[in-house]
Amino acid sequence: MTTQKFNSDSSAPLSCAEFQERLPDLFAAGSENLTDDPALLDHLKTCENCSALVRDLQYIADQARQLLEPTHEPSDDVWTKIKESLASEPPLTPETGNT
Amino acid sequence: METQGLQMTESKASPGLFKRNPPIAGEAEAIERAKAGDAEAFSKLYALHKRRVYTLCLRMLGNVSEAEDMTQEAFLHLFRKIGSFRGESAFSTWLHRLTVNLVLMHLRKKGLQLVSLEETINPSEEDAPKRDFGSRDVQLSGSVDRVALERAVASLPPGYRMVFVLHDVEGFEHNEIATMLECSTGNSKSQLHKARLKLRELLRQPEPATQADLKEAAL
Repeated sequence: MTTQKFNSDSSAPLSCAEFQERLPDLFAAGSENLTDDPALLDHLKTCENCSALVRDLQYIADQARQLLEPTHEPSDDVWTKIKESLASEPPLTPETGNT
Repeated sequence: METQGLQMTESKASPGLFKRNPPIAGEAEAIERAKAGDAEAFSKLYALHKRRVYTLCLRMLGNVSEAEDMTQEAFLHLFRKIGSFRGESAFSTWLHRLTVNLVLMHLRKKGLQLVSLEETINPSEEDAPKRDFGSRDVQLSGSVDRVALERAVASLPPGYRMVFVLHDVEGFEHNEIATMLECSTGNSKSQLHKARLKLRELLRQPEPATQADLKEAAL
């Protein structure tokens, strides 16, 4: 594992804290490769802990997509109440949808 | 329910959302018929989208009764305003945005309306994820099934859960989430990162042994 102190020398290797501070923006950039920055890539190559962290966070984001497929179903009461409400309202005006 | 303040503008969806929400067979025709007030078309649209709308409400609210009420409100609102849908974004994207806005309005009315959501969605210290500078542990890759992930998401602090569901599950962009939650884009990114860190922490915890497991181990 690499040092955890922030470095002040730009040529010094990145610390885990510095690397992890950049992660929210790196992930938000959304590119297929996390980064092209040589300093960050060097850190990823040499720090097993941070590379495992990145792998896990990417894995979680990928797995989240499977939750888009719905698994829950509302009870029949919901549609009954919607129908009752719609029946008590004036009919929609075609095109605008507003009454 | 009062819905003044609910924006029904149809913003252009990001390409990711179109990919996630491909057109559904029979949907376009049902929309046109529903615009003309056809009750059967409403029924068709409800059947097509009820599960995703309800699942979204349930994930955001964590409560069956409130999720059903919000599902009802979302469809009623949809049916009243369907004439303003012009097809510039996927219908389901439009419906989901409407649903998210209704749920957020509901949450604000319940107690978040007086304080900026940006502040209130920050969890307490004990809920916050720990930074990971040292411990090597088992990798998650390949080990997390849908049920475990669903359970972990449900146990996230509300603010983390909201941003995670909107971004990683529903596919909204950070700028869209920032607008919906009335926070900065940076805050949305930061909350999402913390949510994923917290999920990693939760998913790496061993599942508590059940009584059956204990009995089996004793044999």
